[in-house]
Amino acid sequence: MNIKILDSWLREFVDTRAKPKDLAEMLSLTSVSIEKIEEVAKDFNYDIEVTTNRPDLMSVTGIAKEAAAVLPEFGILARYNPLKLNKPIPATKKEPISITSDPKLVNRILAVVMEVDLKPSPLLIRNRLEATDIRSLNNIVDVTNYVMRTIGHPAHVFDYDRIEDSKLLIRESKKGETIVTLDGKTHVLFGGDIVAEDGSGKIVDLLGIMGLENSVVGDNTKRILYFLDNNDPHRIRKTSMEQEIRTDAAQLNEKGLDPELMHDAFIYGIQLFEEIAGGKIISDIIDIYPNKAETRVVSLSFDKIQRVIGIPVALKTAKDILIRLGFMVTNTETTLSVTVPTIRSGEVTIEEDIIEEIARVYGYHKIPSKLPPFGDTVHASPLVNEFYFEHKLKRALVYWGFTETYTYSFVSEDMYEGPIEQAVKVQNPLTFDWAYMRKTLIPSLLKVVEENKTYQTLKIFELSNVYEKKGNDLPTEILRLAIVIKKENLSFFDMKGVIEQLASDLGIEKLSFQPLSTGGGETQIYIGKDLFGQIEILDTNLINAELSFPMLLRHATTKKIYTPMSKFPPVIEDMTLILDEEVKTGDVIDEITKQNPLIKRVSLLDKYQDTRTFHIIYQHKEKNLTDQDVAEIRIHIMDAVKKKFHAKVK
Amino acid sequence: MENELIGLKNNAVSLILEATTPQELEEIRVQFLGRSGTLTFAMKEMAKLPKEQRPEMGVLANEVKAVIEQAIENAKASLRTRHKEKFVSEKLNKIDVTEPGNKPSLGHLHLITQAIEEITTIFERIGFARVRYPEIEWDWYAFAALNFPQNHPARDDWETFFIDQKPDVKKGPVVLTPHTSSGQIREMSSEARSHTAGENINIRMLNIGKCYRRQSDVSHTPMFHQFEGLVVGKDISISHLKGTLDYFVRSYFGEKRISRIRPYHFQFTEPSFEVDVSCGICLGKARLPDGQGCKLCKAGWLEMGGAGMVHPNVLKNTGIDSIKYTGFAFGWGVERVLMMKEGIEIDDLRTLYSNKMEFLEQF
Repeated sequence: MNIKILDSWLREFVDTRAKPKDLAEMLSLTSVSIEKIEEVAKDFNYDIEVTTNRPDLMSVTGIAKEAAAVLPEFGILARYNPLKLNKPIPATKKEPISITSDPKLVNRILAVVMEVDLKPSPLLIRNRLEATDIRSLNNIVDVTNYVMRTIGHPAHVFDYDRIEDSKLLIRESKKGETIVTLDGKTHVLFGGDIVAEDGSGKIVDLLGIMGLENSVVGDNTKRILYFLDNNDPHRIRKTSMEQEIRTDAAQLNEKGLDPELMHDAFIYGIQLFEEIAGGKIISDIIDIYPNKAETRVVSLSFDKIQRVIGIPVALKTAKDILIRLGFMVTNTETTLSVTVPTIRSGEVTIEEDIIEEIARVYGYHKIPSKLPPFGDTVHASPLVNEFYFEHKLKRALVYWGFTETYTYSFVSEDMYEGPIEQAVKVQNPLTFDWAYMRKTLIPSLLKVVEENKTYQTLKIFELSNVYEKKGNDLPTEILRLAIVIKKENLSFFDMKGVIEQLASDLGIEKLSFQPLSTGGGETQIYIGKDLFGQIEILDTNLINAELSFPMLLRHATTKKIYTPMSKFPPVIEDMTLILDEEVKTGDVIDEITKQNPLIKRVSLLDKYQDTRTFHIIYQHKEKNLTDQDVAEIRIHIMDAVKKKFHAKVK
Repeated sequence: MENELIGLKNNAVSLILEATTPQELEEIRVQFLGRSGTLTFAMKEMAKLPKEQRPEMGVLANEVKAVIEQAIENAKASLRTRHKEKFVSEKLNKIDVTEPGNKPSLGHLHLITQAIEEITTIFERIGFARVRYPEIEWDWYAFAALNFPQNHPARDDWETFFIDQKPDVKKGPVVLTPHTSSGQIREMSSEARSHTAGENINIRMLNIGKCYRRQSDVSHTPMFHQFEGLVVGKDISISHLKGTLDYFVRSYFGEKRISRIRPYHFQFTEPSFEVDVSCGICLGKARLPDGQGCKLCKAGWLEMGGAGMVHPNVLKNTGIDSIKYTGFAFGWGVERVLMMKEGIEIDDLRTLYSNKMEFLEQF
């Protein structure tokens, strides 16, 4: 929440010589953040951010109190000047007014009927309101806003003569009831909202949020019902969000305000009506106060203060700070007992809250910076973990020309693959494009390809989670690595090679590729017996692969095994076979390799029409292989491939 | 005979030195050492010498032969070298070195990955260990255990994404975690369960992950990344929090940047802070050298994110003794710190997730 306050207005409640810039700096460091100071006509306008836990600071007097409390810690004199509130002048003639409330909905109501002269507000009030981003309307409405800004509690006025039978009944709304707010907008209520109906049974107010068109003050208003209500903050929040009415009043009321503070606001308003609107009280003052505000006592040990802050703060300093902030303090040598005033009792409840008050005003800037100690427990911190492999594989891909993408985890129904009823579904998506948690990364990457159409060649990858339903438990999150290549004359082996090299770089062995029996251009990848992922050919220029990162982690290793280098040179020869198209190269390589342990490695060198040339390396650890040795093995190989694959040796 | 052999040698050597091509050298070899070469002929003539002179002349003839052979080899080698030098220098003179090289392929890591890796390294140096926790989380971890009251605005469905799934009796509804702070609960709960009795709890967690909030505008994306630090132990204080973030700010943004903490409010920390970093453009002066006001920052400072001392209720909720231990935590946006870096002032955060090659290839 932000609030704008003119410097001159603030200084009505705090006496200090601090310059606006210094005041802003000191408040920012110890209390509220002053985000901007704007110079306006010999004055300064502060733009102040107030955190949601401190609605008491959403006012000129609230900020003035803080300033008076924090400035002395910087060595600057400052004194809070409280508002002078007089006892209201009782009515001589009494108009009827009857209000029935519900303690479940409302903590306190203060109301009075007044005679007024409606006219423009004095310049000072108009300027101050406009500087705080509130439009000046007339003196009556302006008083309610001026009270809210000065004290921090919203106030409301009805046109007394528009309330049928001078009666208000405060109740919960029913679902479907319709109201028209004073800005002319129609709202259908969800039910459970706090409303007031008049003697005729029509709703005349949406409490704590906004007045209604049928009871609002107009040009002909002569008599008003000045009305303050302190409500259940959760109902206010609910109504305000459901109806999308985010007035200042709603935003204050939803935070929970002090019903004692409300009394000040009430009296100040009466005073202002008397001063600027010829106001006269013409009814009894109604005060319905079923839920009294309470003070609270919090105790804390002096030792704890030091442990949390990290350096000693003198007991006297701590005590002075708390007293300046409006707390009452008694102490022993080791403990403090702090009485929290009603205006803060909602949010100052435990010793840490008190420590915060002391520490912030003492000044966080005075606390030295130290790195935390390593502690007395020894933990192992292995270098090789999942992040190590993640880093390694991403680097490898980048150095092979792939670019990493980050796409959203949610997808539209169209982009979701698989039965939609099994999807992990977002209940309240921002748009329908982001309604399901994806089960595969591929559609997202294909969308990236689509959105970069002008690129003839694209190599992209992403490592992200996919999500799967798991009964009543949390959905399973599985990290997947997806790779997409777009290129003219793309081959399956362009993708297979990437995966083979990745596996090799990560120490993964026993990689195998098997076409999916159901076809469809999909190949499954296994590590041993574990399914690792698949490659899918989508077009002559588009191919994708998706791999399971957990499976990769299961098999990846940095373990290195040393094999002594051979002292004797290998014999290398190429063997060209004429093979039927059906015969798998992998099977031929396996068959050749198993013929003799001296065959160290077999690879496919070339493929031309129906011939395939295999590169065979023979090597013996302890001697030079003779032509004779190799010739014998070669005969075995030829026999085997003839028998098994009906191969012809060329 | 002796004079004849020596003359022959001198003659051969001088011819060899004058030769300029391998062919000439071959001709010289044939002329002297060939089957009908002069030296071969002289050696055959030796048979005519008196028997006692033959061994001496034989030795001399062999020496002459060796000298000639060696001279030819040397001359060949030097010809090769000269040829190569000539070739290289001619070739080099013709190279247009301004033409582009044959580059090996090079892709690009996403900026977010680059930031995550940098952040991780910085924190690992001071003993933090990176972890990864669920993105889809029970309300207990995302809110309840973090001390969010039941009616807190962050828990309503205007701000947080809910998963269409039956709530758990104890752990509540399923949400897309709106912050990495849910990892605090997982980390502390697991440490409280597993730590050895008698040993002190000592947590230094760095949780980096995806988070989700119902917002999409120039400064928000519905999915984003946070990095969450958590230190819990004996006597962990505000002083340690300040030290850690000073260290991070100077390591990540550079020695010239400084940090400060201001009072703030979060449910799961008490006290709570907002952490500011001095602006990299105006260097904290709020004014540029030309006297213009700095447009990037608020009075010389940029907000980096929240931090605070772990709320005692949060420690209690995870089974950690809140009297014995204290801790601090911070959770900052990866995208946010990235964009606070000099040179990466991206005007619309959604650009990071646009996946336009023109963008990705810049980094």
